[in-house]
Amino acid sequence: MTVLEKVTENPAASELWRFEGGVWWMKPAEQTESVREVANAMKAVGARFVTITASQLPGAEGFRLEYHWDLEGRLLGFAFNIAGNTIASIYDLCEAADWIEREVHEGFGIDFTGREYEPLLLREGDTPGVNLRDVATPKPAAGAAAQEVKQ
Amino acid sequence: MSYEIPMGPYHPALEEPYKLDMVCVGETVTDARLHIGFNFRGIEHLAETRNYIQVIALMERVCGICSFIHTLTLCQAMEDLTGVKPPPRAQYIRVAMAELERLHSHVLWAGIASKLMGFKTMFMTCFELREKVMDVLQAISGNRVNYSMNRIGGVNRDVENPLALVEMVNDLERLMVRTVIPVFTTSATARSRCAGIGVLTHDKAVSCGVVGPVARSSGIAQDLRKHAPYAAYSEMEFEVPVEQAGDVRARLFVRALEIMESCRILRQALTRMPGGEINIGEPKLNFRTGTATSRVEAPRGEVMYSVSWKEGSRNPSRVHVRTPTFVNMPSVRYMVQGARLADTPLIQASIDPCYSCTDR
Repeated sequence: MTVLEKVTENPAASELWRFEGGVWWMKPAEQTESVREVANAMKAVGARFVTITASQLPGAEGFRLEYHWDLEGRLLGFAFNIAGNTIASIYDLCEAADWIEREVHEGFGIDFTGREYEPLLLREGDTPGVNLRDVATPKPAAGAAAQEVKQ
Repeated sequence: MSYEIPMGPYHPALEEPYKLDMVCVGETVTDARLHIGFNFRGIEHLAETRNYIQVIALMERVCGICSFIHTLTLCQAMEDLTGVKPPPRAQYIRVAMAELERLHSHVLWAGIASKLMGFKTMFMTCFELREKVMDVLQAISGNRVNYSMNRIGGVNRDVENPLALVEMVNDLERLMVRTVIPVFTTSATARSRCAGIGVLTHDKAVSCGVVGPVARSSGIAQDLRKHAPYAAYSEMEFEVPVEQAGDVRARLFVRALEIMESCRILRQALTRMPGGEINIGEPKLNFRTGTATSRVEAPRGEVMYSVSWKEGSRNPSRVHVRTPTFVNMPSVRYMVQGARLADTPLIQASIDPCYSCTDR
């Protein structure tokens, strides 16, 4: 089954998808395509690119990048776990991914290969990746215990 | 011979931290580069240091105009993570507040756009109307900017006499029909300043993935209230205005028509509001491990929150906010290409940009 056939299946009636947390996720076992193949397929079916949500995996496992696309009001999700800090850019396929790729690059130090960057949120002299938790773990503020709310 | 004109970072027209470097030939703009981030606050990372109550107050401050929308989107995601369902009355109150916020935003924008057109009388009229909307918001929430209305499992304040507010909505609609809408749709000043300028073609709008009134002005009929309803929107009857021209005038029309539809939704929400509780009380909340995503149609377009949690934790492990201006703003580059330099402030304003949201 091609990725195009997979995304045109009705998620509610398909074994390929699971609905969780407001998103139709393609099941990991079914998602064998690269991020660029997925982007091409989503473009072909007229889906709208929504965003990329990046997060750091525990320890040295790398990062999780969740690509969200809207297809006729359904939010489709494709998750990619990367061990290093590089993944192919989809900017040349999907113009709407430009700013969020730049933001993820600046926030997490992830390189989207095949494109060039201009600073987005950072100013000259700032370093990409400073918001990485390993680099800048938030420290508890003084009196943090007193801020806890009992409920 | 081309030359470059920097506009910003203290933007002279919109008075916000934003920069547009425009390449011009004579009076015509041939290309532009956008710069944001002058007020980057790192709110997403700050959110990871806040507990599930504090994070609501924090995210309310992402935007000064759509503060209710941001907490609504966040609370919907956290309700998914906790398995909590707000009572029906709370869902209706959320619809009423969301539409009042849309009215507030659109009327405010109409005032700013009038000012940039050189139509200062209309600016004053729009701001007078905005005050009326803010009076209603204050009557419901007790606040004028950060409303503190949303909580996990409902809302904090009830609308004690919804029918009393219907007359205020009718009054507002009458004023819109009598003054603002005729001027925007028939005035020669508005037409000459808006028609045919700042065009975003349908194809480019699709390619840029724009949302909200910017998308609907370029022929893209997308509105989450219709296509992925939340709160009590599935029980409301309303139309989604769509224009095809893609110019500043089309964006003006779409927002003017949306004001009318908001009044229609508000009347339904206030007159049909069911009785009962406005929240689920204060049970112990158990967050599941995982990620929940919520989307809401804000005045400027789709807002998306992706919230990750680890069971047993008080704080989210990740909060990602995708605001509408973040996706609409790159399209300004295409809107100003071929435009006269003097029209660029109005073109930029026509997407109703929110720099506070964009920089976060």
